[in-house]
Amino acid sequence: MSIFESRGATRRFGGLVAVDSVSFAVEQGEIFGLIGPNGAGKTTMFNLITALTPPTSGQLLFQGQNIVGKQPHQIAAMGIARTFQNIRLFGNLSALENVKVAQHTHTHANVFAGILGTPGAREEARRVEAKARELLRLVGLGESADEKAKNFSYGDQRRLEIARALALEPKLLLLDEPGAGMNPNEKGILSDLIRQIRDQFNLTIILIEHHVPLVMGLCDRIAVLNFGQLIALGKPAEVQSDPAVIDAYLGD
Amino acid sequence: MDFFSTYGFLIVSMLFQAMLGLSLYIPLMTGQLSLASPGFYALGGYIAAILSTTVFLPEGGGKWESGTFPIIYVLIETVLAGLASALLALLIGFPSLRLRGIYLALATIAFVEIVRVLSLNLEITGKAIGIFGVPQPFINKFDYVVLALPLLIASAWFVYRLERSRVGRAFTALREDELAAAAMGVNPTTNKVLAFVLGAVLAGMVGAISAHFLNTWNARQGTFDVSILVLAYVIIGGSRTFLGPILGGLLLTALPEVLRAIAGIQGLPLFLSQFLLDGRLIIYGLLIVVAPLFYPQGLITPDLFKRRAVKTKEAGA
Ligand SMILES: Nc1ncnc2c1ncn2[C@@H]1O[C@H](COP(=O)(O)OP(=O)(O)OP(=O)(O)O)[C@@H](O)[C@H]1O
Ligand SMILES: [Mg+2]
Repeated sequence: MSIFESRGATRRFGGLVAVDSVSFAVEQGEIFGLIGPNGAGKTTMFNLITALTPPTSGQLLFQGQNIVGKQPHQIAAMGIARTFQNIRLFGNLSALENVKVAQHTHTHANVFAGILGTPGAREEARRVEAKARELLRLVGLGESADEKAKNFSYGDQRRLEIARALALEPKLLLLDEPGAGMNPNEKGILSDLIRQIRDQFNLTIILIEHHVPLVMGLCDRIAVLNFGQLIALGKPAEVQSDPAVIDAYLGD
Repeated sequence: MDFFSTYGFLIVSMLFQAMLGLSLYIPLMTGQLSLASPGFYALGGYIAAILSTTVFLPEGGGKWESGTFPIIYVLIETVLAGLASALLALLIGFPSLRLRGIYLALATIAFVEIVRVLSLNLEITGKAIGIFGVPQPFINKFDYVVLALPLLIASAWFVYRLERSRVGRAFTALREDELAAAAMGVNPTTNKVLAFVLGAVLAGMVGAISAHFLNTWNARQGTFDVSILVLAYVIIGGSRTFLGPILGGLLLTALPEVLRAIAGIQGLPLFLSQFLLDGRLIIYGLLIVVAPLFYPQGLITPDLFKRRAVKTKEAGA
């Protein structure tokens, strides 16, 4: 059984079909690339998976279960985490707090336990803090844990988004252009980081990325969207030489 | 002149208003602008007024002598007022918190208005006359401080701790970016309703004590004007730390007295002192409009403390 499968997922915005009966399956442990020209429907696909946008039709299966109709926080609790192309951090919270928030579903202290500081709540708070700091170190932000997220550089904000998503302890991680705004050197580090977290946390990753070397070097398989339709799916080398793909990128 | 007998009423009122400011602040932590506090305040007051005039009667009937009403009864009423407010807030929270921003504000004002119209028309709330002769646990108004101050400290401590706890963090995340918070596993609906309920409980409890404090309770308590006043506490005091609404409530409640004192200064032109005495609402309105120009985030901001903390750290190093 594939960890994730899209069966004819479709999303219309008025007359525009942003995602047009797209079907593909992602296997456990894969780094799966999702590429395509601007406006191809990649981010919309992520929004469908995370229930931020409901599909017009089609099925989305996570670990064999149809997740269409669930709410975003339920999807998160099931083990699907994401980052946002247009960075959506909690700007006025510190980096540390950003990562702590994402541990919400794995913690239980209720409002009174938290306020009274019961031993259970305190123990939990210590665990949450330790884990948040560890994740920040992992993405290279250990030093700036207490700074407000909105004061971070572009690249640091993208790394913080990854740390926050990891705090959900996901099984499936969706990265929406994590390298945007980074220089080639930073992109190289990012590439290593993505591979490292896949191995360390036993993740399956779907990666949207425009930077071709990054995608080609990193992904096990790649799906190509164009005008909402899936036009190619396969190993990086196969996809790269696919006439339909070359046409989509170079054509009109 | 005895300071406490002159200013006792004012001081206790300031504490009550600070708590009403907090009760608006709690839902605001999740980004919800709810102006419902006066509605729950009114409800709490009616619960206390009704219980203390019909159920908690002295042995052998009759009326309580002033200052003899047992405090324990006030506490029971306060707890019941909190519970009733919680239930009502749950009931109206789920449908109304689908609304956002100004629409939620309008819906909660409608709720406040419904409470007022109901109390004007129901037998049990005394219709237009209201309920008077609410028995007194104290002889001096200032003595109410023994109820109001601990409640203010407890609620301030509650919010202070809340902001640093798991649930409070979820609240703040919702305020910052609801969609992102949901994608990170925070349930927007339950957390917003929870914040709404907590704010309602505080307002209801304040109402219960206020009914005794004011001696009478009627449909003029907890109206739309109070919604705006309480909003002013938060706007002027600050909406990003719990100290803001407390400071706002204290200051704005004391303001009329301060104005009165200024108006009494010898040598002021007559029109000015008259304006200071009678133009209270105009001055409030001006403050609400002008203060944000100079203090866009209110008088107290979280950064105020951070800067100080950094300074002391540097001084220590
Ligand atoms: N909420 C929306 N309402 C209307 N149209 C939308 C909405 N979201 C996306 N679209 C449209 O759907 C199409 C696909 O957008 P999407 O953001 O998924 O593209 P993308 O592949 O992520 O592009 P990019 O590489 O620029 O990020 C675009 O034409 C976009 O304008
Ligand atoms: Mg996109």
